[in-house]
Amino acid sequence: MNERSATVLVVDDERAILRFLRPSLEANAFIVLEASTGRSALEIVVAKKPDLILLDLSLPDMDGIEVLKRLREWTSAPVIVLSARGQESDKISGLDGGADDYLTKPFGVEELLARIRVALRRVERLARDPEPVYEHGDLKIDLTVRRVWLAKKEVRLSPLQYTLLAALVRSAGRVVGQKQLHKEIWPEGESTPESLRILVHQTRHRIEKEPVRPRHLKTEPGVGYRLEAPDE
Amino acid sequence: MSGSPREYGLSLAAAALCTAACFALFSVSSLTDLVMVYLVGTLAVALRGRRGPALLSSLLGVLCFDYFFVPPRFTLHVEHPQYLVTFAVMFAVALTISHLAVRVRTQAEAAKRAEVVAETERLRSSLLSAVSHELRTPLAAILGSASTLLQAAKGGGPHSADLLVNIRDEAERLTRLVHNLIETTRLEAGASLKKEPYPIEDVIGTALERSEKLLAGRRVETDLPENLPLVYVDPVLMELVFVNLIENAVRHAPDAELDISARERMDALEVSVADRGPGLKPEDLERVFEKFYRASAAPGAGLGLAICRAVLEAHGGSIRAENRPGGGAVFRLTLPRKAGA
Repeated sequence: MNERSATVLVVDDERAILRFLRPSLEANAFIVLEASTGRSALEIVVAKKPDLILLDLSLPDMDGIEVLKRLREWTSAPVIVLSARGQESDKISGLDGGADDYLTKPFGVEELLARIRVALRRVERLARDPEPVYEHGDLKIDLTVRRVWLAKKEVRLSPLQYTLLAALVRSAGRVVGQKQLHKEIWPEGESTPESLRILVHQTRHRIEKEPVRPRHLKTEPGVGYRLEAPDE
Repeated sequence: MSGSPREYGLSLAAAALCTAACFALFSVSSLTDLVMVYLVGTLAVALRGRRGPALLSSLLGVLCFDYFFVPPRFTLHVEHPQYLVTFAVMFAVALTISHLAVRVRTQAEAAKRAEVVAETERLRSSLLSAVSHELRTPLAAILGSASTLLQAAKGGGPHSADLLVNIRDEAERLTRLVHNLIETTRLEAGASLKKEPYPIEDVIGTALERSEKLLAGRRVETDLPENLPLVYVDPVLMELVFVNLIENAVRHAPDAELDISARERMDALEVSVADRGPGLKPEDLERVFEKFYRASAAPGAGLGLAICRAVLEAHGGSIRAENRPGGGAVFRLTLPRKAGA
């Protein structure tokens, strides 16, 4: 699938948002479809099979999470949820309901395009064999040999720290919810809410030059963590 | 004439207390001294309550005095007619005292109410001027830039990048203001905090990332030891605190570097955010935390630091401003380490 001709369905009932999304997406060679209700979104997904869906969670006719669940019965295309600041619980239920990522309103076009590319590339990657080596800036992680390097020097990590990174590498570029990370790192459920935060904190002090301003392992406040998308 | 049952109860209590005092003084004082004791009781009631309880107290005073002390004692019967004059004078004096006391009190209360109304009025008008300025300036810039761009698009003029930057930056400024207004309202409405244990580094980190454009490449020195204890905070609100402190420093100390550091104290974590700007006047060190107060002509709605204090207090912590040795201002935050605080 060529990203340049990908079809994006925008589901939002705000004219102002559609007015700026359409030209910015078209300028980047996407084909844009629009739906302003949950019902019409489902119809378009069935009829036109878009490659990616931007879904605002507050729709006039249906609960956005419900739309997401129904969408998932029809399509495995990536869904990026759009939601307002301060509605972290919406974002979490969006991710739990099968969304691939989210964007907080208001957002800039650069950010939107970056998320769309990450989501589309991931679909492509899943179709091929998974990349065993992750590289972003001065960080390199090799999943086959379970080794990590920072600025060409190998970094010693504890098994938990490595498990965290491996989980994030597999979803590189996307936000991974706290719940999912807890499940992957502590499958027996032997963790507390702070275990993950402490683990991320310690891992940052191994793989980030300036842990307070992480370049690789980012926090999505109240939702989870994101490892930046690998370099091209 | 009204009064609550509690105030009438006060009249009864005062009468009882005065009577007890009179029994104690009875052997060493004359009857006229005892009258004084009851008058003091009436005055006390009048100063606390309204007309009704004061009147009751005057009446009770006369009756108790008659019953317990005027011969023949322990009857309401009066032997000498001269005591009737005493009663009349005593009652009249008690009434006058209570009338005056009640009036003084109501006047004081009215004055206080007027003051509160004036204060609310002052606050409301400063809110209007500060917020409307903060809302109008970016809106004017956005509208102006957009309409110029529209003309340029029709006539094909250049300059569009500057105008677009203007639109984006001003819209972001509005976004921050709206966010502050919403969180202030939510806190004042008594919204509960979603407190969880976090490394402070994580919270400061997300605030720095959100402030990236605002900082525009300015140097931020951080000194955060790796093994600091976790703090129990609402991450969204604490991030807002740091974004506001950074925005404040950028406004008042435009070119200077910023220092953020944290230290473990007894049972708290102390974080300081310091700049190398002009610092604060001594009288502003407290006032900068007042809502809608602006310490200088620099732009701002006067909300940022007020919400910082509200958030810190809601966390059982505190924030204060100091001048920094060598110049500049420093904001010191104290956050308790324990969940319950």
